[in-house]
Amino acid sequence: MTLTYVLMQNLKRNPLRTALTAIAFAFPMAVFVAAIAFVVAMVRLSQANAQELRLVVRHKATLTNYLPEGNRRKIEALDPDRTRLKAICGMRWFGGRVPDSKIALTNLAVDPDTFPIVYSDLAMTEDETALWHRERRAAVIGSLPASAYGWKVGDRVTLNSTVPPYLSLEFQIVCISPNPVRANFFFFRRDYLDESLVQINAPSGRVNTFWIKCTSVEAIRSLQQQIDAMFANSPDETKSEDENAFVAGFIQATGDIPALMQAMAIVVVFIVALIAGNAMMMSFRERVRELAVFKAIGFPSLRVFFIVITESLMLALFGAMLGVVPASVLLLIFPGQELAKLFGVPIINQLRLSWPAVVGALAIAAFVGLVAGFWPAWQALRLKTVDAIRHVA
Amino acid sequence: MSSADIELHDVCKVYRKGRIDIPVLDGLELSIAAGEFVVLMGPSGSGKSTLLHLIGGLDSPTAGSVRVGDAQLDQMSERQLTAWRSRHVGFIFQMYHLVPVLTAAQNVELPLLLFRMSASERKERVATALSIVGLADRTDHRPNQLSGGQEQRVAIARAIVTDPDVILADEPTGDLDAHTSEEILKLLNLLNSEFGKTIVLVTHDPRAAAHGQRILHLDKGALHRDEKRAPRPAAAAVS
Repeated sequence: MTLTYVLMQNLKRNPLRTALTAIAFAFPMAVFVAAIAFVVAMVRLSQANAQELRLVVRHKATLTNYLPEGNRRKIEALDPDRTRLKAICGMRWFGGRVPDSKIALTNLAVDPDTFPIVYSDLAMTEDETALWHRERRAAVIGSLPASAYGWKVGDRVTLNSTVPPYLSLEFQIVCISPNPVRANFFFFRRDYLDESLVQINAPSGRVNTFWIKCTSVEAIRSLQQQIDAMFANSPDETKSEDENAFVAGFIQATGDIPALMQAMAIVVVFIVALIAGNAMMMSFRERVRELAVFKAIGFPSLRVFFIVITESLMLALFGAMLGVVPASVLLLIFPGQELAKLFGVPIINQLRLSWPAVVGALAIAAFVGLVAGFWPAWQALRLKTVDAIRHVA
Repeated sequence: MSSADIELHDVCKVYRKGRIDIPVLDGLELSIAAGEFVVLMGPSGSGKSTLLHLIGGLDSPTAGSVRVGDAQLDQMSERQLTAWRSRHVGFIFQMYHLVPVLTAAQNVELPLLLFRMSASERKERVATALSIVGLADRTDHRPNQLSGGQEQRVAIARAIVTDPDVILADEPTGDLDAHTSEEILKLLNLLNSEFGKTIVLVTHDPRAAAHGQRILHLDKGALHRDEKRAPRPAAAAVS
């Protein structure tokens, strides 16, 4: 028998309390691992975006306000030599969905001539690019909808728009991009959309955004200022920002999620520390006499201190493992893509297990265990054996 | 097997509760020879348990000297007393206080974890201790699977497993019926007569007191009467 064995046996003293305290650790740690995986996915996306040197121009008031397609030529005129601006592509939100599907696609109509240049990270082959230019109903999609619906190159698919005038259009898939960061996208030609709009007398020739492929970070900055200055005080005032800032705006639109997650994490850790601390104090109070006997038979005060605090630490780590292991296994077995299909949330297709998150969760649990166990351990260290023995005898 | 004599010279013990000083022992003089079985009796508050704690190194006197064997307890630090206690003293309490999640054998083994000892040596000592108290067939039982008397025997085994010089028992039969109490007292007698242990027993029960070779009557912190008794016959084997 070892002291470690004694510690582990002590955790079985009150199985219900041990189980509830362990669960109190398990859930927050599982959420922590998942949350960090989400943050890592965001960082990965951000890094991918930064590499592409894209500038996004939208209406200053709101993204849903349209900009005239003619503004593209005005913007191109700012850099006639193409030293800063490689290409510019107008995009209009279609918001198409496969009927009866809960997967929300990032579905956009794009300028066909410049799209392959601006979105070169989709890695379209020459043949795919040629087909894109040739086929009016061409669509370039990501791997998520392809695997979700079993689509292949050459398939004809229909999407119903979720924005007015609620068109239903048929497309032909010409490319399934291998880029994991763009897994949820569905691009098609804007001239095809405009033709369809004209047929039903709906306004056409408008875009929600212009995406500009720039040559450098400095080019992004200078164009950003020039473009917004050019359209200032006009009916189509613009707001230009780099791709990461643009994407961040979507997330912020649903609330300051990173700050919210941070606040929740702090609150959860605090509550778990209180729960664990309470459980450890209850355990200590029940065992005052037993610990007094430990001291009476010769266990030094410091060893008794370590017995109590180590128990708290073991309980915390056991609970953390109870949460971290299933969360980690889930992220390993079910890649983000599968989870995105399951929950219909595109961003989580980037979810991957983050080992630093696992280590971090265990470290936090250990810290909370030590904090929660410190006061009862201190009480045990200072326990006056004689006074406690009087109650014992 | 080891044993030790005990000497207390002009021992005083005063407890401080807030601003009030409570004298418990007042100029106590006492000698206990190695291998004696001494019983401490007296009304509540007479200082019996305090005297036991001083002999066991659980507390230090306010004044005076306490010697047990070669150890001058009044001059030792708390750390030194703890280390000394682990080797030289075995405690037996009224409520046994076994660890409920450990088996009988594991409870008895607990004090041995303080020493550098191989697992096989610990196992042998535990087996010997449990055999002496007559519980060789209960090694894997948890405390909740034992009767009160059996639990107290496990506690006694725990007290003797380190081969202490002195066994201090504070009301060991206080929670037991008459028959079981007699068994426990016979066991203590065995430890004294067969193994020569110095035993100091605190009790209110005159029947328990009858097992001692000396009965010390305490009152208001002083020794009022030192009653010597005829030695009992060697105890029968414990059932």
